[in-house]
Amino acid sequence: MQNSIQREITINASRERVYKAISDPEQVVKWFPETIEGNYAVDEQPVFGFGDHGKNQVFIVDARPHEYFAFRWVPGGNHFLGDVLSVDTTLVEFRLSELQDGSCKVSLSETGFASLPAEIAESSHEQNSGGWNFMLGRLETLFAGD
Amino acid sequence: MSVEAIFKALGDPVRLEIITRLSDGSSYTIGKLSEDLGVSRQGARKQIQTLASADIIQLHPAGRETRVSLNTESLQQARLFISQLEQQWDQRLLALKQLSED
Repeated sequence: MQNSIQREITINASRERVYKAISDPEQVVKWFPETIEGNYAVDEQPVFGFGDHGKNQVFIVDARPHEYFAFRWVPGGNHFLGDVLSVDTTLVEFRLSELQDGSCKVSLSETGFASLPAEIAESSHEQNSGGWNFMLGRLETLFAGD
Repeated sequence: MSVEAIFKALGDPVRLEIITRLSDGSSYTIGKLSEDLGVSRQGARKQIQTLASADIIQLHPAGRETRVSLNTESLQQARLFISQLEQQWDQRLLALKQLSED
């Protein structure tokens, strides 16, 4: 149980190469959606096609060569067509960094599964209960006892 | 109950505090659970109802009282959903690696 996904992978290619594979519509369809309809650019809402698994409209949040690319979507690549900004979404972020040997580390995060108010971190609830992470820690313990 | 509904129900500080209290596995009466939440009793009751509707907690009548306990199955379902998404991302990132290294 958690509110975010964090994954990392090291790729033996330059940061520029990896950024292109993520941000270029002709490249991204070779590893992620099968098709893209519409404009794959910041502030636009293109549609990712996943063949028989349906279509998922996304909102491109930011694209900063060659370090950052982010979009919002209905999580899981589930079927969704409509105004992405009018529904609950998660934020998917790719962060690229160059390692000493010239390879590229890709850090992927998907956040916002439980749309927690941002202020919770500073709130008194946080101090009282230790907040989200504390709770999840306790839940993990509970599950481990099953 | 959909995972989306479960996550939605988790997205509130008062509801999270309620789950935190229940997460040691014990059950509380509604009255006891509503204490010191920083909201009125009515407000607390409403949040408890929301959690019950999302199947995150269970209400058991016990005499004149109602006892509340955590439904770990729902939370496990949410956790399973997350771990499936993690596997999906791992597969996608592997495909990104293969493409980039070609």
